[in-house]
Amino acid sequence: MLPDAQTVKSTLATGGAHDAEVAETTLGLVVRTQISVVIDALAALLAEGYESLVDFDGIDTGSSIELTYRLRSYSAGHEVFVKTTLPYDAEMASVWNLYPAALMPERETAELFGLTLSGHPNPKRLLTTEGVAPLLRKDQPIRTHEEVRRP
Amino acid sequence: MSPVLSAVLKFFAALGIMLVNGVVMIYMLRKVLGHLHIRLGPMHVGWKGTMQTLMDVLKLLTKEDVTPRAVDRWLFRIAPAVVFVPSLMAYAALPFSNTWRIVDLDTGLLYTFAVLSLVPIGILMAGWASANKWSLLGGMRAAAQQIAYEVPLLLSVLPVVLVAGTMNLGGIVEAQQGYWLGFIPGWFALNPLMWPTLLVFMIAGLVEINQTPFDMSEGESEIVAGFATEYSAMKFGLLFLSEFSNQFIMSALGVTLFFGGWTLPWIPAEMNHAFGPVIFIAKAYIGIAVMMWIRGTFPRVRIDQLMELGWKRLIPVSLVLIMLTGLFVKVVG
Amino acid sequence: MTDPRMDVTGVGLLGEGLHSPGEPPAGIRRAPEGVDGLTTEHLIINMGPQHPSTHGVLRMLVEVDGEEVIAAEASIGYLHRGIEKLAEHRRYDAVGTLMDRGDYVSGIHGELAFAMAAEKLMEVEVPRKAHWLRSLTSELNRLGSHLVWYGTFGLDTGAMGQFLYAMREREALLDILEAITGQRMMFNYVRPGGVLADLPVGVDTKIKAFTDTFDTYLEEYDQLLGGNEIFQHRVKGIGVIGREKALAFGLTGANLRAAGVDFDVRKQIPYAAYPELDFEVPLGSTGDAWDRYTVRMGEMRESARMIRQLMEGMPEGEHTAKMPKVIRPSEGEVYASVESSRGETGVHLVSDGTDKPYRMHYHGPSLYALQALEDVLPGHLLADVVMMIGSTDVMLGEIDR
Repeated sequence: MLPDAQTVKSTLATGGAHDAEVAETTLGLVVRTQISVVIDALAALLAEGYESLVDFDGIDTGSSIELTYRLRSYSAGHEVFVKTTLPYDAEMASVWNLYPAALMPERETAELFGLTLSGHPNPKRLLTTEGVAPLLRKDQPIRTHEEVRRP
Repeated sequence: MSPVLSAVLKFFAALGIMLVNGVVMIYMLRKVLGHLHIRLGPMHVGWKGTMQTLMDVLKLLTKEDVTPRAVDRWLFRIAPAVVFVPSLMAYAALPFSNTWRIVDLDTGLLYTFAVLSLVPIGILMAGWASANKWSLLGGMRAAAQQIAYEVPLLLSVLPVVLVAGTMNLGGIVEAQQGYWLGFIPGWFALNPLMWPTLLVFMIAGLVEINQTPFDMSEGESEIVAGFATEYSAMKFGLLFLSEFSNQFIMSALGVTLFFGGWTLPWIPAEMNHAFGPVIFIAKAYIGIAVMMWIRGTFPRVRIDQLMELGWKRLIPVSLVLIMLTGLFVKVVG
Repeated sequence: MTDPRMDVTGVGLLGEGLHSPGEPPAGIRRAPEGVDGLTTEHLIINMGPQHPSTHGVLRMLVEVDGEEVIAAEASIGYLHRGIEKLAEHRRYDAVGTLMDRGDYVSGIHGELAFAMAAEKLMEVEVPRKAHWLRSLTSELNRLGSHLVWYGTFGLDTGAMGQFLYAMREREALLDILEAITGQRMMFNYVRPGGVLADLPVGVDTKIKAFTDTFDTYLEEYDQLLGGNEIFQHRVKGIGVIGREKALAFGLTGANLRAAGVDFDVRKQIPYAAYPELDFEVPLGSTGDAWDRYTVRMGEMRESARMIRQLMEGMPEGEHTAKMPKVIRPSEGEVYASVESSRGETGVHLVSDGTDKPYRMHYHGPSLYALQALEDVLPGHLLADVVMMIGSTDVMLGEIDR
């Protein structure tokens, strides 16, 4: 499922994401881009035949939020992970125009990591109600203060 | 016997038949469906669960009767009665035997269909008054499908009337006496020329009484319970009972029109007259068992497909059938 | 503290809001207002979370014009247990219990995805026997899950019998799985490094008794539901998720294969014993509900075939690799996917070198199928909504996690 790193790099360069780092890791072929050009990078990959967004999630790295897009080209049988980071409480630009598959996972990621969504047709919370803290951030305890406090 | 007393007695007889039918049919439904579904059905209350339905009736009678706040109170209350009364009235013209019938009407067939066609009004009332979206959809579906299928149902029995030459249900049974070729009973169902008519009657009849595969008005997987969603306790019981009663009436009509009514072939007429009601009810229950069989295995039709079937297929087909039967009767008879 | 969700009068169904009219997602169209000068109001129907056929606690907000669906929105989160967060506070060998509760009808697949991810991090070689046992339980579980789908799909169309017939077979399957794993649904059988235990004595006769009769029964079921003309009319041409739409919405598994895309994780990214097995991947063409039905029925046939092969060729040996008491993988980030009953179940696992995962993302394919549903529902009738939820086989456990 691994595509050629050089081909992916040149694809990204033509799309406008020049400073993207492409590396083969334990995860697979990982493309690291700046948050400002991630949409360009995704658009370039989509044009190259990576037609499906198979998975989308976020990671709280301790200093920022890292987003991972897992793209797959069914015709070529290739798979690419696109990674980008953005600061806490930042605004995440929706990529649903390119990949409609991102509609719900983006809402979920935004609410669970405390990001705001921009350019999303329906930027409501998905899993939890208003007022629930961003649960997947590392500074959120799994027990609330009420639960921990002894009677 | 004074005519008033006799009328009152007949009324209670009809009510009794209806209630006993309901109890027996619910038990039968559970057992038939149970065995179709490789399970046993009720087993614990009474011998083989025979007392289960009785207990359920008691439960329905003693349950709290919930009236939601937003409903249209008057309509909500009278709707079950409007559904229940016509299906009770429909028992009046059924010929249980050559002498056992509540009223001997010359237009018995027309009368039965006329009172049955009042049922959708009650269902629509129930759906509208419930102030519930599922009920509204269910009521609308019921009204649409039942009004649409009244036409093919009535048209489908006209060939029988043409051949029998009467609208009296007893008369139609009398017309089916005798044998073809000396041994085939003269039932219309055994006449190959009547088979298309029988098929149209069966389909339209199933739609008319909201049975699977045409139970859209309370299709539980789509609209929860349709028009009956907000009803509880005995109000629900009445809706439920009239549904079972309609099933019996439709089956009894089928028996009368196509399967020789209260008669059995190859036995002397005196025996037929003596055991008429038993034979009649047994035949009707066979029809009900077929309906339950269908209910246990068939998926549900979609409402637009149903409408298409009714208006585009069944009505033209039954019109053609009437024409052909008319020609046949004119030429042969 | 009051749950805002309870406040139905204040929020109201409209307050929840369907897609804002300004920017509707592709495919959602609005009915022309006031046809023939009459203005009709649209009805907003709240299907679920206690609707009889939304398969769990899915809540569909459906805007209908008469019976025709104008817009649909899935409102989820009623089953959100925070599996991903909880996994960050469990040791590696305890996360399997959480994965079972993700897609709770096919738990083995979730466990397997996590175990494979953990093994990738630790670079452990899994014994051949463990691979075969994993494939065996996977296929048994897939059959069980597909039988639930078959039964509930029947219920959605209004046919009751299919469900109970399917449950009969599923009961036999659950007995077998209970004998192997010790549990009926929450197995915790597949562990990092291998599986919990070898096959118990006597289970092979049980499996043989099951596979001997299953094929004939399956044909019978296929005829009972798929052979019914009413059913065919209900599903053919309904809910078409064609190739392009399926790819755009990230569909995987049977839903994707129904659209004609030949992709099965078992073939393309082989794992467990699948490279050694002989099986075919059923494909559809148009991606309508009928194709999804035939693909899943075909998968059940192939699963039964595979179970027979697995029982015949079951190797000897250890059922688990030598594992430390406390698993501490090295730092790193991996992704493992398996073909579960509903599509590609993936686990994105990040380790920081401690005995607990730093981040575990559980990819449930049903979430992606659900958003495709939102897109294709408009234009269908209300009765088709349940058919399409049924045909895509969404599982709320893995949607909400």
